[in-house]
Amino acid sequence: MGKVTEITVWTRGVVMDKEARDVANAFGQAAKMEGKFVQAFDNYEDLPDRVLVTTRKYVRISDEEIEMKYLYTNAHPDVVVIVEPTIVKGINVLKGMPEGGLLLINTNRPIDYMLQFIPNADVLGCVATVDADGISGIRTVDFSGSEGGVDTAGVGAGIAAPILGALARVSGMAKKENLAKIVSDVAALERGYNEVKLEKFRKARVEYSWGT
Amino acid sequence: MAIKIPKDREVPFGAITPAPVKQQDLFITSNWRIVRPIIDHEKCTRCFTCYASCPDSCWSYNEKEDKMEWNWKFCKGCQICIYECPADAISAAPELDFQDGVHRLEKPF
Repeated sequence: MGKVTEITVWTRGVVMDKEARDVANAFGQAAKMEGKFVQAFDNYEDLPDRVLVTTRKYVRISDEEIEMKYLYTNAHPDVVVIVEPTIVKGINVLKGMPEGGLLLINTNRPIDYMLQFIPNADVLGCVATVDADGISGIRTVDFSGSEGGVDTAGVGAGIAAPILGALARVSGMAKKENLAKIVSDVAALERGYNEVKLEKFRKARVEYSWGT
Repeated sequence: MAIKIPKDREVPFGAITPAPVKQQDLFITSNWRIVRPIIDHEKCTRCFTCYASCPDSCWSYNEKEDKMEWNWKFCKGCQICIYECPADAISAAPELDFQDGVHRLEKPF
């Protein structure tokens, strides 16, 4: 089995649950269009039916068939996406991350300001921020309880689109053209792709190539 | 109080807690908060509306100093006190403007 890239998306229950699910599912689907093998899960381990509680969504991408079934959580996430920036204050989001991982935060604050809330930031290879709330400003909320089975709002209609654009550019694991076929707000996807700010650390890191 | 629990005997956060306590320190939920309420003590009339409206009993009255006190450990930032306050003494401030006031957890909840 080849290298499996694990992506964990952190969000808040109910109010931004659908946004993070769109990020996880659409990014996995776009990677699948390029012939990669993908797994995507959500709603495991955490209790996402409570407003504002921190929850996770998981994606795994690999060039070969993924043989790690039946285990939903990502123990060693290479990429961590923060849909709501306050989460970095209350949770150790980099837990289990290997040296040189990527952190993408949806915030309009400077990167240095966000890093002061992350005491273990020295494992990071790259930090990126995108102001998805400023670009899109819409948070699609899904109260149907169908967990994505019935979705009238459309995939990637709110802040998920700029986050997906930023993630596509920084991680390089899915193409923007494939994402544009999935999300409904393509203009926000383009803006997120162009307006992402990233900071790479100069230390010698492992094989990752973030933001190239 | 640090009790060593073996890995196979671990239970979810808040599953076992000491029963009659005034404050459940094993169930701190401050990391649910996006905004926090900030009280202006000059505007406050001590009407206790925030005390009555808070679902988590995070507002209490300090008799010695004659002012309302906010409990950061259990406030989830629902902003009910801000909307209910008749004197407009409470306002919302983004949690990221502050360095402290959130209990950092290893697990999600």
